Amino acid sequence: MLRKLLFNPQIALSQQKKLKCTRYFAIKAAAPKILELQQVHIEEAIKLEPTLSIYTKQVWRRAHETFLNHGLATVNFLRIVTANPAVLRRTPERIISSLEIWRACQFGETLLHLLLTKYPELLDVSDSHQLLSHVGFLKSRVSTNKNVWKLLMNSPNLLAQSEKTIEEKLDYIIDVMRIEVPELVKSAGLSMAFEELRCRHQFLVRLGLFKPRALKADPDEPTTNHRLYQITDTSEKTFATKICHVTLPEYEAFKDLHAREIERKTRKRREEEDFSDEEE
Amino acid sequence: MLILRNICWLQRRWKSGGKKRWNVLQNKKNNCDRALESFDDFYGSVYGGRWKNMRAALLTRHKYIAMVNNFGDTEQTCSMLETDGAINMKSLINLAQERLQGTDPALKGQGQNRYEIDDKLDALLRKQQEREVASIYPSAGEGGAAVQMPQQLKYDNVEEKEESQTESPDFKQSLTKALEEDVKLDEHRLVDPQFGTGGLYEYMPAHSIKGMEDWVAESEHYKYYQTSADFPLRIEPETSFHFPEHLALYTYEMGNCSDFKAPKKCLTGVSSHFLMDGASTLPPLFLQVQPGERVLDACASPGGKSLLLLQTLHLDQLVCNDIQESRLNRLRRLMQEFLFDYKQRSAARHLIFSQSDARNLDEYEQYDKILVDVPCTTDRHVVMEQDNNIFKPSRIKERLRIPELQAGILTNCLRLLRPGGSLVYSTCSLSPIQNDGVVHMALQKVFVEHGITATIKDLSRHTELFSDVFKFEHPKGLKYGQMVIPYLPANFGPMYFSKITRNV
Repeated sequence: MLRKLLFNPQIALSQQKKLKCTRYFAIKAAAPKILELQQVHIEEAIKLEPTLSIYTKQVWRRAHETFLNHGLATVNFLRIVTANPAVLRRTPERIISSLEIWRACQFGETLLHLLLTKYPELLDVSDSHQLLSHVGFLKSRVSTNKNVWKLLMNSPNLLAQSEKTIEEKLDYIIDVMRIEVPELVKSAGLSMAFEELRCRHQFLVRLGLFKPRALKADPDEPTTNHRLYQITDTSEKTFATKICHVTLPEYEAFKDLHAREIERKTRKRREEEDFSDEEE
Repeated sequence: MLILRNICWLQRRWKSGGKKRWNVLQNKKNNCDRALESFDDFYGSVYGGRWKNMRAALLTRHKYIAMVNNFGDTEQTCSMLETDGAINMKSLINLAQERLQGTDPALKGQGQNRYEIDDKLDALLRKQQEREVASIYPSAGEGGAAVQMPQQLKYDNVEEKEESQTESPDFKQSLTKALEEDVKLDEHRLVDPQFGTGGLYEYMPAHSIKGMEDWVAESEHYKYYQTSADFPLRIEPETSFHFPEHLALYTYEMGNCSDFKAPKKCLTGVSSHFLMDGASTLPPLFLQVQPGERVLDACASPGGKSLLLLQTLHLDQLVCNDIQESRLNRLRRLMQEFLFDYKQRSAARHLIFSQSDARNLDEYEQYDKILVDVPCTTDRHVVMEQDNNIFKPSRIKERLRIPELQAGILTNCLRLLRPGGSLVYSTCSLSPIQNDGVVHMALQKVFVEHGITATIKDLSRHTELFSDVFKFEHPKGLKYGQMVIPYLPANFGPMYFSKITRNV
């Protein structure tokens, strides 16, 4: 899994900085596990995140032990507290309860640890009911727990989006772009705003570079279309120049024109609706 | 066991009742799709990698230019447009003129490297023919012997025409004529009356493929583009360019896609400004109408270009011609909307409307300037609008014959010109056949049939003045004219224009 994580091209494209970090920890993880918190570790962590310096050694030890008891090694613990210092202050009960909330999602221990180490902010989740229903909704669309985990690994902000917005994007990606779930979960497409996603897709369609697959086509059949992660996980400049092979001003002009076009269409539709209401 | 299954057997159809059929879900191919497919194929091989940029631009809304109505509250309109951030084109051109004066006018030899495009079209014609043969005779591509089949079967007039072309390359058979000839009865296949009608049932030789009776090969269209020049041709650079003093055109800078405000009613009862595709302003501008000249707009409707000619305030007499009454009525309405003295003008015969096919106009050598904005495939329209779309399957013959119509109009307009007068030929198509191909055909025809020679004016130096506003095709790719190509930050065009002066 680690290997997969490391060589996931999506991460390579968008989160190079994070990759470096993950790799660093991965190397550490591959080495014999360090199960003891030493003064050196604390000092290193304070260097990275100075706000941690206010806590006493007891606090450090208590939090470390709690994490260790729940299977998170010292390196993971250090990564979590440096990225989310508030965790250190919490009582063991609270930490355990938030871990339990996540455990209920049934991603499996290893995967869950990877997720929490990558995004320590997820430990702030406190409403278990809401989380479970959200994960349940995602599972209903991408079919397995593992796919939900992959989605969260790529776009953690899904938790903050409403079901309606996610649904809108999922419908667009699956029905209009005709992209299959395995490809979808490999990209951070869902963390992008719907308007931008549609704009990028429309631009590719108008350039003639994106042809929707035939309805009956075999999903394994290779296409000439760009992969979803290439479309969504790129900066505007990279998208314009490397994926579309146009200049940035052209893409910017298109964005502007497309937004106007959509606005005109919605206005027209609204007017028509008003008109039909009046008739009734 | 067997019985049990029979009892529980459910009908398949009932089980899958909720699902829609694939062919319902799949969009039906409409005229725009057809147009786009044809363009992908044709322009993709002509423009190569640049086609996709043009494609995206064509499929996106075009940009407008605002032409201020000189017969309304001109100053108020100008200041209104300026507050919205629009720029007066005249000042842009003055700036460009100053900028260019410093640099050495490097004469770009138009038509120097003209062979590039010829090769591309040649290859395209060959490819299209092969594909058409292959689509009818699927085995033709595989076996070498099968390729001979079309000649034996004579599936249409296509092969016949090819032969006639190889025999006498100068003789150009028109597609209309060829189609008419095809209707003639084949004497060999008439059944002798002595055998009675019963004979008909016994033997009926196949003379055409069922369902393909009125089939026209798409490759016919590409044959209009000829490269052999057997007429005197002179290309010289245009000497000067003056932006009309009174004309006010407003545009936003490149990259700014804002919209203009809708026109308002002025004190004189006319509209304040007219919004038109920016590229349409260039043909009338390059016509360079001088005071007191008699001008013809051969295919005037919807009237934007005619209106621009009137806004220069130079005209003595403008004749607006169009083929259909309905189009002419549209033109009349537009003129009424923008000219407060419309009635006096038409009464004094300063503004004349005529309804006629531009190929049949016969006031020879009467006009100083002619604007020939011919009907064409209107590339932007056909990929966006279903209505009045020339890519409708039933209009295929009309579409393939467009170059013939255009050349006919241009030929006749060259005859209408006074010796020394000039015309601007323009289309809103990217197709080299409808552009350079038609100019070539018309020049050849007018020389062979009427002995008229003409000079092509090279406008490439003057188009540079507009390069801040428009994106032009590099003059290397074109033989006789200039072209504005669709480009997203400046989404004007496509507009091809060529200035031709009749030799004295």
